[in-house]
Amino acid sequence: MHIRLDGVGHQYGAVEVLQDITLEIPSGQITCIVGPSGCGKSTLLRFMGGLEQPTSGSVTEVGAPPDDCLNAFTYIFQDFALLPWRTVAGNISLVLEDHGLGQSAVTKTIADVLARTSLSDFKDALPKQLSGGMKQRVAIARALAVNPAVLLMDEPLSALDAQTRELLMDDLVTLWTRAPFTAVYVTHNLQEAVRLGHQIVVLSRRPGRIHEIVEIDAPLPGRSLSDPVLQKQHDHLWQLMRDEARAADAELVHV
Amino acid sequence: MSDAVLEPKRTAEAPAQAQRPVPFRGGGFKPVERGGIGLIVFIVLIGLAEMGTRQGWISPLTLPRPSDVFWTLVEFYQTGQLVLNILPSLTRLAVGAAIGAGTGIAIGLMIGLFSYVRAGLVPLVAAIFPIPKIALLPLFVIWFGIDEGSKYALIAFGTFTPTVVATYGAVDNVDRTLIRMGQSFGLSWMSIVRKIVLPGAMPGILSGLRISLAIAIILLVAAEMLGAEYGIGAYILQAGSLYDLDRLFAGVLILSVLGVLMNSAVGWIERRVLAWRV
Amino acid sequence: MTKLTRRTALGLMGSAAAAAALPRPAIAQSRKIVLGALRFTSHSGSFIAYERGYFDEAGLDVELKFFQAAQPMAVAIASGDVDFGITAISGGLISLADKGAVKVIGGALSEEPGIDGQKILASDAAFQAGLTSPAALDGKTFGMTTAGSSFHYMGSKVVAAEGGSMKFKPLQKVGAIIGALKSGQIDAWSIVPHIAKPLAGSGAVHIIGNISDYLPNYQVTTVFTSANNAASENDMTRGFLAGFSKGVADYNATMIARDSGDAGVDEMVDLIHKYVYTDRPREKAAPSIINGTMRLNEGAALNVASVEDQLAWFQSEDLVSKNITLDTLVDSSYADMRS
Repeated sequence: MHIRLDGVGHQYGAVEVLQDITLEIPSGQITCIVGPSGCGKSTLLRFMGGLEQPTSGSVTEVGAPPDDCLNAFTYIFQDFALLPWRTVAGNISLVLEDHGLGQSAVTKTIADVLARTSLSDFKDALPKQLSGGMKQRVAIARALAVNPAVLLMDEPLSALDAQTRELLMDDLVTLWTRAPFTAVYVTHNLQEAVRLGHQIVVLSRRPGRIHEIVEIDAPLPGRSLSDPVLQKQHDHLWQLMRDEARAADAELVHV
Repeated sequence: MSDAVLEPKRTAEAPAQAQRPVPFRGGGFKPVERGGIGLIVFIVLIGLAEMGTRQGWISPLTLPRPSDVFWTLVEFYQTGQLVLNILPSLTRLAVGAAIGAGTGIAIGLMIGLFSYVRAGLVPLVAAIFPIPKIALLPLFVIWFGIDEGSKYALIAFGTFTPTVVATYGAVDNVDRTLIRMGQSFGLSWMSIVRKIVLPGAMPGILSGLRISLAIAIILLVAAEMLGAEYGIGAYILQAGSLYDLDRLFAGVLILSVLGVLMNSAVGWIERRVLAWRV
Repeated sequence: MTKLTRRTALGLMGSAAAAAALPRPAIAQSRKIVLGALRFTSHSGSFIAYERGYFDEAGLDVELKFFQAAQPMAVAIASGDVDFGITAISGGLISLADKGAVKVIGGALSEEPGIDGQKILASDAAFQAGLTSPAALDGKTFGMTTAGSSFHYMGSKVVAAEGGSMKFKPLQKVGAIIGALKSGQIDAWSIVPHIAKPLAGSGAVHIIGNISDYLPNYQVTTVFTSANNAASENDMTRGFLAGFSKGVADYNATMIARDSGDAGVDEMVDLIHKYVYTDRPREKAAPSIINGTMRLNEGAALNVASVEDQLAWFQSEDLVSKNITLDTLVDSSYADMRS
C-alpha cells in the first residue's frame, strides 16, 4: 500500500503554506521530506494521516493495508506523546484496547514489540523514569504494535541530543532491515535524511513547493557520511537548502 | 586598547596588589527548611494566652484560657456530645460535598468537551460563582425544607461552582498532543475521554477539590445556622450567642482539625493517584 | 447600625418643630454617653427621654446608637462602645455578666395581668393537625433565634408546664422564624402582640395562647449597663435611670392611661415614628405603634422573681455556668426590686 499526493495546496487564512505538491510515496521505502522551517512539511504529514485536510488537491491511498493492520497511518511524534500516567506496557496497550483483541493477544503483541525495541526490561516503568531516547523507543514500539501500513514520523529525533539520535537511527535501520516498512520521515536535519531516506523530497520555503527529489541507492545498513558518495549527496542537498533556509530565516514572522 | 593594558606585566617590580576572596553576594531570598519553628510559635502564643488569662492582664472577655478550652474539649468528648454533634456535621459535609463536587466534575467535563455546553453554561457559572451562597439559605429552606435538605443543598451549591471552574480549566489544560495522538491511533471518542482527558485533568480537578472542601467547611457553619439542633456549626453559633468563649474556641478548633484532616486526605489521594507526575 | 447624633436629629426636626420643642437647658458640663437601642416600640422610653430632653436635664449628652439585634448590643456594652442598653435576658447577657462585663440595673418591660402580652402562635398546618392549644405542644418544633434566647426560655417553660418537650430550631432572625412558621417548617412560636396579631389576621398562623398564662409577670426586657458604670459611675447611672424613667412615665400616661386623650396619643405616635417603622408612612405605622403598646416598667422597677426564674432555667439547661448568682447578674442598688 502506498500514498499518492496530487496537486496538494493549503492555506491558513490568507497565508499560503503549500503549493501544488504532487508526490508518490513508494511502498516499503522511507521517504524523507526536508525543507526550511515553516515550509509546511509537518502540515503535509498531517494530510497524509488524515489529521488535517488540504484546501486543494487530493491525498489518495493506493491498495489495501495488510490484514493484521490495526491503524494504517500511524504517527511517531517529535514530543513522544506518551501518557505520563501509564507504564511503558500500558502506553502500548492503550492503542490495542479499542480493537477487542483479547487479553492474551494484547499481552503477546506488547511483549513482541518491546522485544523488537529492546525495552522488555522497562515494561513497568513510568515515562518520567525514562530518558528521551527511551521514550521515543516506546513511541516507536507503540507504533509498531498496530502493524501500520505507513509510518508517519514528524521530526522524531529533534528533541534528542546528538548521541541518542545516532543510536536511534541505528535502531530504525535495524528495524527496517529486519522487516522493511513504508515511512514518511519529516526532518530538517540533512544527516538524518541522507542516513535513512530512499528518496529525499526537498521543499522550498513558504509557500512550500517541491524543489527537487533526490534518490539515494545505497542500502540503508552501512550508510555512513564518511562514504564520499553520500557526502556528496549531503553537500548537494545543503546547496539546495542553504539559500532557501537563509531567505526563510530573514522573513518576518506572521503571527 | 593595547595589549599592555589588558595584560598587566607579571614582573617582580609590579606593585603588590591587594588580594581578597570574592565577596559572597548570593545569600538570602531562598526559603530554607527550619523544622520546629512553627510548633514553637504555636506553643509560645498558647503559653502567653494561658499566662495572661491566669495573671489577669488578659480579661476573660478577650480570650478564653487555653487550658479551659482543652478541658471543655475533654468534657465535650466524655459526655458524648462530641459524637452527637460531629456525626451530623460529617454527614452534611460528606453528602453535600459529594453532590456538589460530583455534579461539578460532570458539568465541568461537559463544558470542557462540548462547545455548545461551554457556550451555554460558562456565563451561567460565572454569574453564580460570586453569589454569597449564605444569602440563598432562606430560599433553600423553602425549596428543600428546614431539615437536612437545605443544608446539603447549601454545601453542594457552594462546592459546585469552584469544582466546575477547576474541572473545565483542567480539561482545557490537558496536553493537546496527547489527544492528537489518541485520534491518530483511531481511539474512540469515549476512550479518549476516559483514558486521556480524564486522567490528564485529574491534577487540576484534585486541586480544585482542595478549595471546594475548605469552602464546604466554611459553609457548614452557615448551613447549621438555620434549624440545626446538633452539629459543630450549630455548637459554635450557640456558643457565640451565649458568649461562651471556651466552647466557641473548642468548636473552632474542631473545625480547624477537620480542615487539616481533609487537606491531608486530598494530599494522600494526590500522592496515590498522581504518582506519575514529574 | 445607624448613628443618630444630636445635631442630625435637630436638623431632621426642622425649624418649625424646633420652635415648638421644649427648651433644652444648655448644660456646660454634660457627660457624653451612648445609649444602645432597637427600633422597637418597647424602646419608646429611650426615644421620649431623648426627644424631650430628659437626659439633658440629668446632665447627660446622649447619643443613640441603633442595633439590629439585642445580642450585639450586649457585646457593645461589654466592649465599652455603648454605656446603656435595653434587651431581653438571654444566655449571652448572663454569660457577659458572669465575665464581669455587664450588670442588669432595672426593668423595662414585663408581662402584666390585664395588658395584652406575648402570644403563642401555631402554624396553619400544625393548627389543622390539632395544635389548637398549648397543651398539644408536646413533640412539636418551636422556633427561636438562637439557643439561650428569650424564645427558647418561653417555649421551654410553656411546654414544661404542659408536661411535654419540644424540638427547638435556631433560625437566627425573627424574619426567618416568621417565614418558617408561615410555610409550616416549624410548628409553633411566641412573640409580642403587635407582631402576633397581624400574622394571625392573615390566616397563615393562629394564636393558641398567652405567655402570661404560663409566666405571669415575666420580666421580658431589662435595662443594663457595664459593670464598671454600675459600680463606680453612680451619679451617671442614676441620672440615666431618672431620665429614662421620665420617658417611660410619659409613655405609660399617654399610651395606656390616655391622660391627654387622642391628641396626646397622636403626638406620641409622631415622636415614636421618628425611630420605629420609619420605612412606612405615618398612617400605616400608627396602628402598629398603637397595637404594640405594652406597659413599660415605671421607675425601671425589676421583677426579681422572674429574673431568678430565668437564671435558674438557663442554668438547668446548661446554657450558662451553674455558679452564677443573682448578685452577679443584677445590681439592685438603683431601681425598685419587686418580687
